[in-house]
Amino acid sequence: MPALSVNSLFKSYGGVHAVSDVSFEVARGDVFALLGPNGAGKTTTIEILEGFHKRDGGDVRVLGVDPGERHNQRWLRTRIGVVLQEMAVESFFSVRQVLERNAGFYPSPRRVGEVIELVGLCDKTDVKVKKLSGGQQRRLDIGLGIIGNPKLLFLDEPTTGLDPAARRMTWDLIRTLSDQGTTVMLSSHYMDEVEALAQHVVVLAKGQIAASGTPWSLGGREFGKVVISFTLPEGVAIADLPVQTSRCAGGKVEVDTDCEIEVLARLTNWSMESHHSISGLSVMRQTLEDVYLKLTHDAEQRAEPVVA
Amino acid sequence: MKTIEAIEAETKSVAKDLRLVLHQVKYEQMAFWVNKTGAIFTLGFSVLFLVLLGATNGSQTISSLHNITNNQFYVPGFAAYGVMSACFTMLAINLVTRRETGLLKRLRLSPLPAWALLAAIYISTAIVAVSQVAVILIIGRIGYGVQFPSNWLALALVLIVGIACFTAMGVAISSVIPNQETAGPVTSIAFFLLLFLSGLWFPIAPTSGLATFSKFFPVYHLLQAMAAPFQLQPGVSAWAWGDLGIIGIWGVGCGLIALRRFRWSPRRG
Repeated sequence: MPALSVNSLFKSYGGVHAVSDVSFEVARGDVFALLGPNGAGKTTTIEILEGFHKRDGGDVRVLGVDPGERHNQRWLRTRIGVVLQEMAVESFFSVRQVLERNAGFYPSPRRVGEVIELVGLCDKTDVKVKKLSGGQQRRLDIGLGIIGNPKLLFLDEPTTGLDPAARRMTWDLIRTLSDQGTTVMLSSHYMDEVEALAQHVVVLAKGQIAASGTPWSLGGREFGKVVISFTLPEGVAIADLPVQTSRCAGGKVEVDTDCEIEVLARLTNWSMESHHSISGLSVMRQTLEDVYLKLTHDAEQRAEPVVA
Repeated sequence: MKTIEAIEAETKSVAKDLRLVLHQVKYEQMAFWVNKTGAIFTLGFSVLFLVLLGATNGSQTISSLHNITNNQFYVPGFAAYGVMSACFTMLAINLVTRRETGLLKRLRLSPLPAWALLAAIYISTAIVAVSQVAVILIIGRIGYGVQFPSNWLALALVLIVGIACFTAMGVAISSVIPNQETAGPVTSIAFFLLLFLSGLWFPIAPTSGLATFSKFFPVYHLLQAMAAPFQLQPGVSAWAWGDLGIIGIWGVGCGLIALRRFRWSPRRG
């Protein structure tokens, strides 16, 4: 049984489809990412899975039960952890106090000390929440998400607004949790985050699935166009090169191609034979960000807001 | 996969639920006392007003109220003030702040059931209200020689009804206040205006136009009901049934609004 399964999910607000025909499955122990621009339906989807919103249509199973059913909610809430997009921790309590308070809600919580260690706040145990930095507060927020020892953890844009160091610490924490067997459902609009953490990704745009797959294969990325670039050797004109160039600016030449092996072979052979050394050679596959921007842009073009 | 019966068996355990409520009450109380501004605004103000007014003109008598002293008039008045500020003003501001900062939503998604959270908030508010009344009565007795109520049972009933009604009002008004910034001003202005019109600072003649207006609102009736158990005037019953009835009607009405309108999540910008 998968940790999560969503089948043809629909939800609209005031006649506008927030989520429309979304289906996916998350295997136990996976890190799964929902990617999409603001307003794409990520939070709506997550909050339906958490049982916070009712859906209009489709079938949803979280740890095998329907989160829309009232009698399942309490059972479910002892087994899931939730970190909301808005950070929400009482500011006048100490780190230990908030964690102890929330630990009391669960039948078999993690030890408070263990959570403090996991989120790296050992030296802040008795410090008031309001005295913590933004990154530290966010880590405490995640600590509250895992205090109940959840089988499934929802993280809605966990690193938005964090500095790079705090983001990396949060990534490490998510990896640790994943290694310990927690299934993680993540939403983000950072491509590097998804690439670093997730095994599966669904790109949402305008409430619909624009693409899904592994981060490295998304949108045909493993086959798609690459950019080969290098510095134009001295005394060589563009026309002398053995390949068709796409751009040339400031002595830097770029070749767009989808048969990179052939282009590289021609270039390197030419370089060896004509004794023109090529410097600054790089081969760049399109980044996940390129793919993502293209996918979401295409979806925007296709779908004007749908009125139910 | 869990069966529905198993899920229900796991969730239905009264003792466990009560422990959960008490656990949350503990943290509600901690939150109240740790947040000094809130504690000062509720506890401190009623005491401060009583002390200041008592020092100014406390021993003068009020001829329209059978020559009771001002202090005898103020003590039940500020006991009522304590109940109202804890249950109405404080609670409303507290709920709006917690809702708009996402704290309520977060709690909603924890295993703490909604009813348990609301029960804990209610119990915690009642603790603050009752401790306020106790402080006022003790200061009145020691500082100004105002006797304790002659009918404690009647006082207990006033507290039960008053706390229930004003808590319901606090929750109801919190559900219509849009954001944190307006929570303080809206509740305080509404509250102080009604206090003024209902005769907390000076007695108002029961037959005046002002009294007719004030009698529509529960503030006037709580002031009256709180004074009754002291039995300061001859022939007045300790049980102010009429006042309690009107307070009760307001409580039920506001309770219904609260149930219908209560929101867990912040308004999105």
